[in-house]
Amino acid sequence: MADERIGVYICHCGTNIAGTVDVEKVAQRIAGLPNVVLAKDYKYMCSEPGQAMIKQDIRDRKLNRVIVASCSPRMHEPTFRKAAQEAGLNPYLVEMANIREQCSWVHMKEPEKATVKAIALVAAAVAKSVFDEPLQMREVPVTPAALVIGGGIAGIQSSLDLADQGFKVHLVEKTPSIGGHMAQLDKTFPTLDCSACILTPKMVDISRHPNISLLAYSEVKAIDGYIGNFKARVLKKPRYVDESKCTGCGLCAEKCPVNVPSEFDLGLGTRKAIYVPFPQAVPLRYTIDRENCLYFKKNICRACEKFCTSGAIDFGQLPAEVELEVGAIIIATGYDLYDAGHKAEYGYGIYRNVINGLEFERLVNASGPTSGKVLRPSDGKAPRSVAFVQCVGSRDKNANLYCSRVCCMASLKQAHQIKEKFPGAEVSIFYIDMRCFGKGYEEFYERVQQEGVRFIRGRVGEILENPDDKNLVLRFEDTLLGEVAEREFDLAVLATGVIPRADTSELQSILKLSRGPDGFFLEAHPKLRPVETNIDGVFLGGAAQGPKDIPDAVAQAGAAASRAAVPLSMGKVELEGIIASVDEDLCSGCRICESVCEYGAIKMKEKSGKQVSSVIEVLCKGCGVCGSACPTKSIKMCHFTDDAILAQVKAVLRD
Amino acid sequence: MKDSKANRVPSWNLAKEVMSRGARIYPLEDLNTLYECVQCGTCVGSCPSGRRTALRIRSMIRGIQMGYREEVLDTNDLWSCTTCYTCQERCPRDVRVTEIVKIVRNIAFEEGRAKERHLVVANNFIKTGHTIPLNEEGKKTRVKLGLSPVPPTSLLFPEALAEIQEIMRTDGFYNKVIRDKK
Ligand SMILES: Cc1cc2nc3c(=O)[nH]c(=O)nc-3n(C[C@H](O)[C@H](O)[C@H](O)COP(=O)(O)OP(=O)(O)OC[C@H]3O[C@@H](n4cnc5c(N)ncnc54)[C@H](O)[C@@H]3O)c2cc1C
Ligand code: SF4
Ligand code: SF4
Ligand code: SF4
Ligand code: SF4
Repeated sequence: MADERIGVYICHCGTNIAGTVDVEKVAQRIAGLPNVVLAKDYKYMCSEPGQAMIKQDIRDRKLNRVIVASCSPRMHEPTFRKAAQEAGLNPYLVEMANIREQCSWVHMKEPEKATVKAIALVAAAVAKSVFDEPLQMREVPVTPAALVIGGGIAGIQSSLDLADQGFKVHLVEKTPSIGGHMAQLDKTFPTLDCSACILTPKMVDISRHPNISLLAYSEVKAIDGYIGNFKARVLKKPRYVDESKCTGCGLCAEKCPVNVPSEFDLGLGTRKAIYVPFPQAVPLRYTIDRENCLYFKKNICRACEKFCTSGAIDFGQLPAEVELEVGAIIIATGYDLYDAGHKAEYGYGIYRNVINGLEFERLVNASGPTSGKVLRPSDGKAPRSVAFVQCVGSRDKNANLYCSRVCCMASLKQAHQIKEKFPGAEVSIFYIDMRCFGKGYEEFYERVQQEGVRFIRGRVGEILENPDDKNLVLRFEDTLLGEVAEREFDLAVLATGVIPRADTSELQSILKLSRGPDGFFLEAHPKLRPVETNIDGVFLGGAAQGPKDIPDAVAQAGAAASRAAVPLSMGKVELEGIIASVDEDLCSGCRICESVCEYGAIKMKEKSGKQVSSVIEVLCKGCGVCGSACPTKSIKMCHFTDDAILAQVKAVLRD
Repeated sequence: MKDSKANRVPSWNLAKEVMSRGARIYPLEDLNTLYECVQCGTCVGSCPSGRRTALRIRSMIRGIQMGYREEVLDTNDLWSCTTCYTCQERCPRDVRVTEIVKIVRNIAFEEGRAKERHLVVANNFIKTGHTIPLNEEGKKTRVKLGLSPVPPTSLLFPEALAEIQEIMRTDGFYNKVIRDKK
């Protein structure tokens, strides 16, 4: 290994490093190490002149290893790798030593010790670099199609954006219709547009778009592969109605004798056993609910079949499996509503006049179960006083610590709607903080204040019911006055928060995604990669990533589409060169590596009569777990070999 | 200027003091939520005592955060809490409200700031081993319920009472009550 020619660059990072670490001393000490041809310090290595210096030295001084001692490799390793490559050096022959986060920033008050540590870290990088070998990035082709999971407003937006760019989109929606929660809303804050009026044209666009294939009433069962080349298995659940024949006339539902609570109306209204969730459903195809249909339960009835003029009813329909090949995936599965029944002190589910915010949306909606009349569930009377109880299940360590972000504005909107319908009604909002952060939101808050809604700063302690008239008594403190009070209301609306979908963990394990402490899908970086995930080629749109209102859900979904379009339009992707490799002669076939690999990148194969491990290179992320688990040391982690790491350790311990 | 609150000097270490005093019994990391109170008022809205007394338990938590040692330790309200734990159950920040009441009472007690009414109760305990004395009416009720007039406790066994009093002497409680009561 005598012909290593190592160049070392110590970055000042302005004063970030040089203010604490004696960079000149580091350079001097490192210059004396074997194989080190030059050691320089410079103000900003990442600047144009800094990079130019590296390139020049690679050419003039025939460097074949480059060490940059600066910041975390997360930010600038790609920068320096690219610079080296431009000068003809394999990018994997560049090493970084992090003397900012690991030295100057954490030892700000101990400059001498920080300098000693910097010398040790740089010496370690020098020692390791000797073992570095040139590696190649791998290039794979990309299928120019996308899978979007979830057909709420976010999934709709992502699908349209990608389809408009010319990519094939498969939109998979679990329920019989797309639309998601937005379809259940009446008006939308802060502008009070009718939700259906702005949503349904987009839903229709989905059904008409030549590049979109909509798989409603379907679920993703398995996904294999990697960026550019995913294979998804989708289960189409039987509707017992032939989608190609059903015209959506609704005669069947008219004749169906069975009434059951409607999920879409949150049980406040009913639907038939053969149904569409709401009149503007897309696709407008009826579905038989097997659980409640008389034919499936008792082998009788078949009224729908008799009356359907298109002969679309098909009681024998079976589940069908579809296999899709796509280059990118967008998760847009949205949210569930917090179950307010967990907060026993508020009596939700026990007192009939305590409802949640989404139930209010259905009550106030003209096509809802009460035709838009807000009436008390207990007696169908118009409420003369309404209380909104904020932060139910949010900002609460006994439920969810995060703020659900939509409920302050939703309650303001609903308070306004009450005032509009019943100008004489007393409306109070009980809050901890009014969070009205979006564009036009504070202005909307002011408008609702002007309308005479009362704002009481105090989280409600408990709700009791007067058994005679079913009125509700709220116990609370007006914290601004320090006064304890009990007050009676006709109706209480709980501003229940937004939580991750109940089936999040299923999708998580199908795709090996990460989730944050809040339970929502986790983005790759909270600031710089907000729509990417830990899996290349998988992106997040809308409330699947965290509570969001419609403007934010649409923005996130659009961003997910544009990020997904990058590999799709490139037509190929490059994969990291740092991967594991197996010495098949040493491998004993114990399969430990296979069981520890998070990415399914290890498969056993047969070799001269015995089972040996093999790495599926395109799937391997280079995490190294297999390498450290292998009892026979037959797995080598390229770029992080045992020899290289031991050399690093020795170098650190030398002084 | 006695009641001008504008110039009071906060003792910034009060929250720490309360927590480290409490850490003898409760895990410190639980008590640490004291810093997290957002003054939402759930505690007061839930407090059965506050509906009848001047106790605003939220203000006590605030007072501790702000370091108003005198007000926190010297108020009558401190002794109005029934320690029912409703506030603590419902607090969205998991502030150990009721436990903090107990800790603050201990500090107040050690400093001789217990209020007269509370000392009467403590005195009952020292004399009888019970906080609520057994009067003739109580005895009658017991008999009506088919019980012996006097329960088989320190009331019936003077040697048990002596043991209780011994414990109270050992940990200083006895002297404190007798002294403060004067
Ligand atoms: C009471 C209330 C009032 C609101 N009012 C407003 C308002 O006035 N203005 C505003 O801007 N925002 C409002 N919002 C917020 C709004 O509902 C959301 O911003 C929006 O619905 C988020 O859209 P989404 O597509 O991300 O999720 P969702 O609407 O939840 O849609 C997700 C879709 O994915 C489907 N899905 C889920 N899991 C799967 C799976 N595994 N496979 C396939 N499909 C799946 C679901 O069936 C659904 O169709 C309100 C929210 C509430 C609770
Ligand atoms: S067969 Fe089933 S779905 Fe059809 S009308 Fe009868 S109950 Fe309704
Ligand atoms: S948006 Fe408002 S009501 Fe909803 S959790 Fe946040 S603060 Fe509470
Ligand atoms: S309930 Fe908890 S957070 Fe709210 S004011 Fe009381 S102690 Fe503070
Ligand atoms: S524990 Fe004390 S302060 Fe808390 S609710 Fe009960 S009486 Fe009120």
